[in-house]
Amino acid sequence: MAAPAVTAAGAEEASPLSQGIARLLHELEVLPLNGEKAEVAGSFSPENFVLTNYSFWLLVAVVLMLVFFIVASRKSQLVPQGIGNLAEAGVEFVRNGICVDVMGPEGKKYFPFIATTFFFVLINNLLGNIPPALPGTGTVGTTFLWGIIVFLVYNGIGIKKNGFVPYIKSLVPSGTPGWLAPLIFTLEVVSHMLRPFTLGVRLFANMYAGHIMLGVFAVFMAISLEHFTPVSALVLPLSFVMQVLLRVFELFVAVLQAYIFTILTAVYISGALHASEH
Amino acid sequence: MTGSLSVLGAALAFGLGAIGPGIGIGMIGSKTIESMARQPEMAGRLQTTMFIALGMTEAIALLGFVLAFVLYGA
Repeated sequence: MAAPAVTAAGAEEASPLSQGIARLLHELEVLPLNGEKAEVAGSFSPENFVLTNYSFWLLVAVVLMLVFFIVASRKSQLVPQGIGNLAEAGVEFVRNGICVDVMGPEGKKYFPFIATTFFFVLINNLLGNIPPALPGTGTVGTTFLWGIIVFLVYNGIGIKKNGFVPYIKSLVPSGTPGWLAPLIFTLEVVSHMLRPFTLGVRLFANMYAGHIMLGVFAVFMAISLEHFTPVSALVLPLSFVMQVLLRVFELFVAVLQAYIFTILTAVYISGALHASEH
Repeated sequence: MTGSLSVLGAALAFGLGAIGPGIGIGMIGSKTIESMARQPEMAGRLQTTMFIALGMTEAIALLGFVLAFVLYGA
């Protein structure tokens, strides 16, 4: 029902629509806070290291998270109340639902890293749902960096646990015929190299696409209010309903993506821990 | 619009690349629901495994997504 109405409006008023979409994409662009366009494209000169709109909201999210946990843990009691209860539920979920579930009892050792990852991604994803804010995880910069951190950490853990040579050897399962080993090794190395990349792209794509979806329906609403035609009477309420539903869906996606990011981190660490066993 | 063929290529890369993972995610979901209905006491562990499998399936669709961006810029 929604789709034909939407395309009808788009065909009728192509020019304001493309204007609206262009403005929407501009809103989501990475820009320095002083408003001037950053010199991107592989330039590492110091004047490019500025506070952008995304990194500003990332800092806000981190400060919020710090304040939340400091306030929650200030009066720690045996039976927590209010905000402490919320924090404890979250921490317990990460410890039992992710660390112990995926890695077994020894997973508790890696709880600090897992919890940091989870709450960092979660607070950034959630903050992006409050209108003036942008999700800190909505740029490839943040998400790829976290992917690379996860890659370094799980390989470091694997090398520390198994030793460097056995860890590299474990990429080829024992019992592989000799002529097949180079092929398997190459495949495994490529799949490991893809891990930080897919972690980063998954999170970025979900956050960015979610905001584009919200924005597109907002653009439809704005256009149907500006150029009121009989079609608008149909598009306006439908877009409004979609906007509300998508907002709820975005909250769900924010939590789900934080969960998936963290659980894949746990799976990678678990795989590195038990590398020599298979 | 310049480079409209690369735009078409980008759309095709994502559209065609999403078919396989789409089927895969559907199968993961249906099998998980089936298993949960059969053994409700296993629901927690099945869910964890389902999300891991979802993550790996999604990764294939994401490769198409990135390729679309690369082609769009070309």
